[in-house]
Amino acid sequence: MKLRRVGDGGEFEVDILATEGSTVHARVDGIDFSVSFERIGDNAAIVTVNGRRYRVFGAALRDRILVTAGPMGFEFARVEEGRSQSAKGLATPELCAPMPGKVLRILVKEGDEVEAGAGLLVLEAMKMETTLYAETPARVNRVLVEEGQMVDHGAVMIELSPAHAPSHSESGPPG
Amino acid sequence: MVKRRQIGKLLIANRGEIALRIIRSAKTLGIRTVAVFSEADAKSLHVAAADEAICIGPPEASKSYLNSEVIIAAARTTGADAIHPGYGFLSERPEFARAVAEAGLVFVGPPAEVMAALGDKLAGRRIAREAGVPMVPGAESASPADIRAFAAREGYPILIKASAGGGGRGMRIVGNDSELEVALEAGSREAKAAFGDGRVFVEKYLARPRHVEVQILGDAHGNLIALGERDCSIQRRYQKIIEESPAPGLSDSTRARMLDAALALGRAVGYLSAGTVEFLVDGDKFYFLEVNTRLQVEHPVTELRFGCDLVAEQLRIASGERVSEVGAPVGAAIECRINAEDAANNFRPAAGTVLHLATPAGPGVRFDSHLEAGLEVGSHYDSLLGKLITFGASREQARRRMVVALGEFALLGVMNTAGFLRDIVASEPFARADLSTHFLEEFFPRWHPAQSDGIEAAMVAAAMVASGAFGTRNGRPAAPAAAAGPATTARRSPWDELSGFELWRPR
Repeated sequence: MKLRRVGDGGEFEVDILATEGSTVHARVDGIDFSVSFERIGDNAAIVTVNGRRYRVFGAALRDRILVTAGPMGFEFARVEEGRSQSAKGLATPELCAPMPGKVLRILVKEGDEVEAGAGLLVLEAMKMETTLYAETPARVNRVLVEEGQMVDHGAVMIELSPAHAPSHSESGPPG
Repeated sequence: MVKRRQIGKLLIANRGEIALRIIRSAKTLGIRTVAVFSEADAKSLHVAAADEAICIGPPEASKSYLNSEVIIAAARTTGADAIHPGYGFLSERPEFARAVAEAGLVFVGPPAEVMAALGDKLAGRRIAREAGVPMVPGAESASPADIRAFAAREGYPILIKASAGGGGRGMRIVGNDSELEVALEAGSREAKAAFGDGRVFVEKYLARPRHVEVQILGDAHGNLIALGERDCSIQRRYQKIIEESPAPGLSDSTRARMLDAALALGRAVGYLSAGTVEFLVDGDKFYFLEVNTRLQVEHPVTELRFGCDLVAEQLRIASGERVSEVGAPVGAAIECRINAEDAANNFRPAAGTVLHLATPAGPGVRFDSHLEAGLEVGSHYDSLLGKLITFGASREQARRRMVVALGEFALLGVMNTAGFLRDIVASEPFARADLSTHFLEEFFPRWHPAQSDGIEAAMVAAAMVASGAFGTRNGRPAAPAAAAGPATTARRSPWDELSGFELWRPR
């Protein structure tokens, strides 16, 4: 299955090949390895990788998979093959609010072509301004919110589609 | 004569870890406690910990924790005779301190006039200068000739700043004489465009300053003491994230001069209660920054070294008692602020429900936090989840204890900065105390978990969750929050939390 790290958009392919007792044979991006996976509860396990033991907790929450390994926290989303195909590699076809907050500024308008890393929208939450960026080159199809609007966690704010030009890296700014 | 007023019941006008912290000290003094809470915090730990709790409004801070009228009314309703403001919210608003006093209640903090005088940036600088506290050298004149003379005296680089400014606009660093006139013009033009006021002034530029602050404590009997210093150089966007005491590498003579300067400033205004005088430090020189007229977030590092309870001192002082005798400081203490932010993704604010929590313990380890399983972390308030503080006979022992303690911390459900903090504290630049306010830009510009930090373990665990082999209970989503609707506003009994906790106990 394909998993995506939420936020940075990094994708990787991970498959559980076989499970023998507490040994799990897995393949991550084409590399096979085995880990010891001792379950100590519904959500807790001791995972040993290359001789290092990690206390791991995991849970499925809505469309997200939450995992901690020691103090490190990770948030993953499952990438559905069909959708990723139609979106032609676009990490996320929609910009959703990562948390409830207020739309402070919208940095793009409908029809804009943006580069990966371009700021799309500024959200205010927890007394802090957070700029949300395009994870891949994209075209702004629709802007569904207004500046000043309050949004809930998960609200779709901007709809994106893959960037149009076959190569966006060699041309100048969009006309 | 100093008026003595026994505090029988204290209202805590705050939330989160600091409300809990204040309740704990009040209880040790035999003072009854009243918690206030917004609808978003009905299930929060400080509400359960207090002797009484009263809802003061909807989640928005402006309608709850910043609503001074409702808070004072809550004190009257519950018969509280004093209010502790904590930090943030109303803690540095002179008009609140005044309103509390006018309502016949004790405000746990300095008098409104002292707060007002020090809270105004320009007035505060004037008071400090008159008290003989060193200021960053500067020139008021913007004429190139005067500035050249200033630079000849103080040395380059110098910093051009907008008089009306803020936020870095109009700021220019000038490295030598030949750059000066162009930079002056550009700075003035930028200031004019940004603020409608082209006036600029010049200061000596501190390339790698440290942030060091002095804790002061004054009572109504004329006693004023300084409880050492804290180095808070490790900051992100002017927000402190790691603090420690003593400030590593600070010479005894510089430390003594800083403590004297802080005491002189405190004496000049007749400071009462706990306060902090902040300085920028450049080598053995230090310069006044500002005074915080409240308890600081990072006060525990001072408490561990001096073996004192600063909140208890504040309460004693507020009831007319004298500050306690404190001995010489010992050892070293470090504090890490664990925030609800995704450190690997530009510190994006995080929210969620605490599904699992593992908290550190051990010798010299203290964890000040309102975290517990089931807590919903939302977006209405600041992102502080807890403060991990370690103490050791030496800085290195405190540092190693911090690395181990952060390694024991685990929080499932809310992305947080614990892993990032562990990387910093375990790093070589931190170990050798190469501190400056640019520490993170210099050493951790774009942080991501390293390969050794369990990414493989996490990936395999994630795949196990996705395939339903792990992280679920009887095939249902494991998280209680998955089934829960919007945050309930009804107050629940603490026993409800226990049943929620049950779900997470390993079988």
